[in-house]
Amino acid sequence: MSDPGENVEAAVRPGVAPGGLHTAETPVPAPATGKPRGQFADVWAELRRKPMFWISAFLILVFLVMAAFPSLFTSIDPDQGSLRDNLQGPSKDAWFGRDIQGRDIYARTIYGAQASIVVSVIATLGTVLIGGFIGVVSGYIGGWVDGLLSRIADVFFGLPFLLGALLILFTFNPPGSAPSKLKVEALVAVSLMVLSWPVSMRIMRSAVLSVKEADYIVAARALGASPFRIVLRHVIPNCLASMLVYSTILIGSFIGAEATLSYLGVGLKSPAMSWGIMINEAQQFLRDVPGWLFFPAAFLVTAVLAFVMLGESIREALDPKLR
Amino acid sequence: MSQLSRRGVAWVGTVALALAATACAGDRPGAGTDGAITIYGQEPQNPLVPANTPEVGGGKLVNVLWTGLVDYQGVGGAPRNVLAESIESADAQKYTVRIRPGTTFHDGSPVTAASFVDAWNWGAHAPNGAANSSFYADIAGFADVHPTDPDGAGPQKAPAPRASAMSGLRVVDDTTFEATLAAPSAIWPVKLGHLAFMPLPRAFFGGRPDDFGRNPVGNGPVRFVSWAPDVAVKLTRFDGYRLVDRSKVKDVTVRLYQQDSAGYADLLSGNLDFMEQVPVANLAGRKWETDLADRRITFDLPATHMITFPLYDRRFASADLRRAVSLSIDRQLLIDRVFFGHRRPADSFSNPTARGYVAGECRDCRYDPAAAKAALARAGGFTGELPLFYNADSGHKDWMEAVAAQLQQTLGIRARAEAVPTFAALRKLVTDRKMTGGHRSGWRADYPDVELWLGPNYTTSGAGNDSGYSNPRVDALYREGVRSRDIDAAHARFAEAGRLLSDDQPTVPVFYAMQQSGYSPRIARAGLTPVGELDLATVELR
Repeated sequence: MSDPGENVEAAVRPGVAPGGLHTAETPVPAPATGKPRGQFADVWAELRRKPMFWISAFLILVFLVMAAFPSLFTSIDPDQGSLRDNLQGPSKDAWFGRDIQGRDIYARTIYGAQASIVVSVIATLGTVLIGGFIGVVSGYIGGWVDGLLSRIADVFFGLPFLLGALLILFTFNPPGSAPSKLKVEALVAVSLMVLSWPVSMRIMRSAVLSVKEADYIVAARALGASPFRIVLRHVIPNCLASMLVYSTILIGSFIGAEATLSYLGVGLKSPAMSWGIMINEAQQFLRDVPGWLFFPAAFLVTAVLAFVMLGESIREALDPKLR
Repeated sequence: MSQLSRRGVAWVGTVALALAATACAGDRPGAGTDGAITIYGQEPQNPLVPANTPEVGGGKLVNVLWTGLVDYQGVGGAPRNVLAESIESADAQKYTVRIRPGTTFHDGSPVTAASFVDAWNWGAHAPNGAANSSFYADIAGFADVHPTDPDGAGPQKAPAPRASAMSGLRVVDDTTFEATLAAPSAIWPVKLGHLAFMPLPRAFFGGRPDDFGRNPVGNGPVRFVSWAPDVAVKLTRFDGYRLVDRSKVKDVTVRLYQQDSAGYADLLSGNLDFMEQVPVANLAGRKWETDLADRRITFDLPATHMITFPLYDRRFASADLRRAVSLSIDRQLLIDRVFFGHRRPADSFSNPTARGYVAGECRDCRYDPAAAKAALARAGGFTGELPLFYNADSGHKDWMEAVAAQLQQTLGIRARAEAVPTFAALRKLVTDRKMTGGHRSGWRADYPDVELWLGPNYTTSGAGNDSGYSNPRVDALYREGVRSRDIDAAHARFAEAGRLLSDDQPTVPVFYAMQQSGYSPRIARAGLTPVGELDLATVELR
C-alpha cells in the first residue's frame, strides 16, 4: 500500500471544507472561468486524460456485466456437456475447448466471473466499512481507545493472510463438505474481511489523525458542532480518497484471494463455478488441454490487473506530486 | 463370515493380498542378480506385525519380509504351496498342514508348526487388538478368544475372552499342525496366502509387538535392514532363503512418498526404479505411454468399483430404480473418456480375478437408455434429488460427476455427485446407516475367490453389506456354498446366488480396476504379484 498520509492531503475537498486547502503543496486550482472547480472534478479531469484509466474502466465494466448477466456473453449452458466430446482443444463450437465432462470451458469461464466479483466486492465493502469505522473511532477519539483498537488491529495484522484464511475456512467449510453456494461466498468474504480490516483501519486512522487538528476542524469545533457532525461532515469526506484508492486495489487482490482459496479446496466448490475451481480441476490435464487452465487463469489475471490499474490511475490523479 | 477390511481401493486403507512370487516363468533357482533397486512405497500405518497390518503401505513390506504357507499362481489362480508341503483335509473341516522342514527366520531360528499356531493365536486374541483378527474367524474356538462386541463400535465393551488360544489349532510335531474349523469350508485354504496367516519367530513373543514391528524379523526372501520414518525402508536379500521365490536383486530400498507425483518425477528422472501406480494425471492423453515407452505394465487388479444404494431408505427400495440406474450408465464411454481406457466395464457382482467369477452375471450392467426409462417407469419414477456421494480425498470426482450427468441425461432425474471430505467420513455415513443417496464403494479382494465378494457384500449381516440388502435365498446359497466340501460345488452355489443378485440389483457395479505400473531403464524385466506389487523373484536388472 502506498503511504496513506500522502493521499490524504490530496483528498481534501475544498467545496465541503473551507479550510481544506491547508497544505502548501496542494495546488489551488486556478480556473479561468472564475468558478472554482471541486477537487473531484479536478481528479476527473486528470483521469480522463489517462488511457490506463479508460482501459481498466472498460475491462471492469465488462467483468461487472459478465458477473451480473452471464447469458449476454454465451448462450451455452455451462453445466451441460457430452462425455463423448470431452477434453477437446479450442474449436469453433467451443471457443476455449471442453473439460473432462465435455462442458464448454468458455461458458464456464464466463459464469465463473460471478463468484469472484461478488465475493471480492462484498469483502472489500466489508473491509472498508469495518476498517474505516474503527479507524475513524480510533483516530478521532485517540487516547486509550486508540491504543486498544490499534493493538487489536496489530493482532489481526500479524496473522499471515493465507494461514488465517485457511484456518477459518477449514473449520467452517472443510474440503468435501457441501454447504450452499451463498454460505460459502459469505464465509470466504467474512474470512477476507476479518484478516484485512487492520490495513484499512490504519489508513483511515492516519488520515483522520492528519486532518483532526486542521483549521477547519478546529473552526467547526469552535462553532459548537457536535463530534458526530464533525466526523461525518468534515473528517470522513476528507479522508475518503485514500480509502477509495485502497479499496479499488483491494478488489483486485481479493479476486486473486478468492481464486486461491477455491483452488486450495476451502473456498467455493464444484458444482459452483469459479476461476479458482476451474484452475484446480484443470491442473492435472495441463498437458492435454492447456486451455482449460489457461483461459480462466487469463480472465483472473485480467480482472485483477484491471482493478489494480484503476486504483493506480486514481491514486496518480489524486496525488498532486505525480501530476 | 469373516469381516474383511477390504475398504476403498488400492489407495486407501486396504489389505494387500498374497505373498510375493507368481509363476511368471524364469524361476531359475539361484539365478541371483546382485544389484540394488529403489521402489515406491508409503509410510506404514503400524509397526510391521503381519496380523496388525491392514493397509497397503505396510502390507507391501510384510509381503516381501514374510513367506506364507501358500501364494497365488498369477491372477485368479489357485493357491500354490510355498512354505506348506501339503494342506490336506478329508472333510473340509479338519485340515492337516505340513510345512517344509529346514527353513529359518532371518534371525536364524527355525520356522516350525508352532511359529504358525502361536502367531495366529496372538492375532486372534482380542486384547492384542490386531487389525486382521477377523481372518481367523473360521477357526474353531475363535469366539472364545475374540468375543463379539455386542454393539459393534458402540460404547459397550466386548466381554473378556474366555481363552487365549483357539481350540481348533493343535501342534502335532515340529513340521505339522492341525487346524479344525468351526464349520466345513472348502474355501479356507485359499485364504492362507493372506498376510494374517504368516508365522512369527519365537523372538516376537515376550517382547513388545511394537518394538518387534520396528525391527521386524520375518522368513521371506528379503530381510529388514533399517527404517527411517517417512524417508525409506531398506531391505536386503536373505541369503538363507530356500523357497522358490528367491529375490534376484540384492538390495531393495522402499522409498516412502507422501505424493505420488513426486514418485513419478523420480521414476522419470531415474531415481526410482519401480512404481505400482502411475499417477492418474499422467494417464490423461496417454502421456505415460510416451514418458515410459515400453517400460510399462498394465495389470488387472482384483478390485471392483460400484455404486451402492441405501436400501433402508424407501426411495431406493425398488429394484427397478437401481436397475434403471445401472442401465443408464454407459460404462465403456465412461472408461474411455474419463479413465482413458484404463479400466474394464463391470459385468458381475464379483471380479474377473476371482475363482468362480461368472462373466455377464450382472445382466443389467449394460447401457440401454430405452430399457432404463422403462425400468424407471416400473419403479414409479423418482422425485427429488439423487445425490451420489464420493470421498473427495481420492480421484473419484470426475467419474462420479460423469455418472450423475449420464443419469440426468438418460433418466431426466436430478442426479448430482456430492463430495464427502474423506474416505473415513464417507465410511462413517455408510456404516451408521445415514446415507441419503447412492455412494461409491470399491472393494479389493484379499484372496482370489468369489466367496469373498458374495459373503461380506451381499449376505444379510455381511461386514461389507453397505446397502442393507437381505435375501434369505442368497444367504442360504452362500451358506451351502461355504460348507461345501468341494470347491466346484461351492462355486455352483455362488453362481446361483449371483443370478438372484442380478434380479435384485442391490448394487450397481461400474468398473473393474486396473493398475498402470512403470519401471526404470535399469530394470530389464519385472513381474507383478496378484495384488500388483513388484515380484522380487522376477526382477532382472540390466
